[in-house]
Amino acid sequence: MVDFLTLGFLQRAIVAAALTGGLCSAIGVFVVLRGLAFIGAGTAHAAFAGVALAYLIGAPPMPLALVFGLGTAWITGLLEERGRMKLDVSIGIFYTATMALAILFIGMMKTYNAEVYGYLFGSILSVTSEELQMTGALAFLVVGLLGFFSKEFFFLAFDQEMAEASGVPARRFFFLLLTLIAITVVVSLKIVGAILVFALLLIPPATAYQLTSSLRRMMLYAVSIGVLVSIAGVLLSFQFDLPTGPAIVLLATGVFFLAVAFSPKHRPKPALS
Amino acid sequence: MAHPHPAHTHPHHSDHQHGKPLIRFEHASFLYPHGPALEDITLEIADGEFLGIIGPNGSGKTTLLRAILGLMPPSQGSLRIFDCACQELRCHHRAMIGYVPQKRSVDPYFPITVHEAVMMGRAGVIGLWRRTGRQDREIAHHALEDVGMAEYEDHPLGALSGGQQQRVFIARALAQHPQILLLDEPTTGIDTTTQHTVMELIQRLHEDLHLTIVLVSHDINLIAPLAERLALLKTRLYAVGTAREILRKDILAQVYGPQILTTDQGHVIVADHHHD
Ligand SMILES: Nc1ncnc2c1ncn2[C@@H]1O[C@H](COP(=O)(O)OP(=O)(O)O)[C@@H](O)[C@H]1O
Ligand SMILES: [Mg+2]
Repeated sequence: MVDFLTLGFLQRAIVAAALTGGLCSAIGVFVVLRGLAFIGAGTAHAAFAGVALAYLIGAPPMPLALVFGLGTAWITGLLEERGRMKLDVSIGIFYTATMALAILFIGMMKTYNAEVYGYLFGSILSVTSEELQMTGALAFLVVGLLGFFSKEFFFLAFDQEMAEASGVPARRFFFLLLTLIAITVVVSLKIVGAILVFALLLIPPATAYQLTSSLRRMMLYAVSIGVLVSIAGVLLSFQFDLPTGPAIVLLATGVFFLAVAFSPKHRPKPALS
Repeated sequence: MAHPHPAHTHPHHSDHQHGKPLIRFEHASFLYPHGPALEDITLEIADGEFLGIIGPNGSGKTTLLRAILGLMPPSQGSLRIFDCACQELRCHHRAMIGYVPQKRSVDPYFPITVHEAVMMGRAGVIGLWRRTGRQDREIAHHALEDVGMAEYEDHPLGALSGGQQQRVFIARALAQHPQILLLDEPTTGIDTTTQHTVMELIQRLHEDLHLTIVLVSHDINLIAPLAERLALLKTRLYAVGTAREILRKDILAQVYGPQILTTDQGHVIVADHHHD
């Protein structure tokens, strides 16, 4: 084990996994409590379409991923607010549309580009120091905002209208939350991939949800589970030569079912419905 | 003043010795996308009074409270809240209005303790830039004492009975130290004994803390003995006055239909009474 840790790329992978695991889990608490799971999925796939477009036109991938991710998050947030459409329908439409765009962009490329697929499945073992620094900075920003405005975000998650009525600018915080979700998804895209970022947003918070009846403890548990499972996933995948993303997610899923089985809430049903 | 109906009782008829008006509706109408929810409402709510709002389901009672909260600007007419129009209503004004919403299906497993739920009442009051501290925790604790729920501080909210949850939500509103307390059907879905406990609590808050109370209920008999004035609502305001003035067959029949009965004891029996 000590030998592993002297490997530069493995060190970076472990730090990257801990950062994304903690970041996704922290914001995921609000995703789960506020019932925004589908926004996570929609945003992840839209961001991937942004990456595909960037590779097609030769632009840097992150800014375009952010534009696509933010656009999707905000538009679905607006749709939810208006109550014009049921949210699962509007998200479903975005989800398929952005996925179709991504496939279209990839199909239009003259040559096969393996790097694009890295954003779909993640490539944690090839994370560079610069990427790690950017991830760290953004994770600091997102978690810092969540922590500083925790009383507002928790209130929002509990009951947005009540929050608005009692003098919290809840609508602005809802859109700030959507923005932070989009940033989190884009930051995690390179590391865990568009498909698995969604799992990291949901599984650690859903596991924590099973274990406690307190908001603050749910946050604490979710972040701890997210960080530990991500680090363990990297080590396992390295040890047994497995793909990292699936190792992390399957490990998290295992922990989730353990939590369900031993949940003091005695409820054999996941938090997400 | 345009009276929507002949039997409209003048809002200022009953002489109550209360302070300045906190809320002032003037010919205000409120729209939902499907159509009008409230039309031509003229009503003043004075500092320190206890106003009961009655009317059948779908008559716009909840909408009226949402309007007072500044969540719905009027489409016509005007609404002044603490002498501000809805658009100018700042967060600190909203924090002066405590709101106990109509009970929705609360997820019994939502991870929140009684203490955390009551602390949310402090969020709007202290504003964005301050974190809750010891003083806020003490206020939350006192609010729980006021509603007799202090011993449940660390319990999961979802584990409490409906009546207990309702008292916690009242404590959450009290933790705002509000000037006005709005309660929307606070006794719906609670057993009869607890209903009276909750109503006594509200009466006590009105008397001891001099809170202005606006209480919505479709249960006329529960609210009539407590409220100083009743407002009879069905999209329009049909009558405002004391229980004695309002609980008359000819006035109630405008809203509830001719099947309404009033007994000599002042009890009202609504024939097609339905719960939501
Ligand atoms: N959010 C909403 N969007 C559209 N229509 C609504 C909404 N809330 C209530 N309504 C409609 O407005 C009318 C009044 O509703 P409400 O104020 O909830 O009545 P009450 O509380 O007296 O039962 C009803 O016809 C209802 O269907
Ligand atoms: Mg109602």
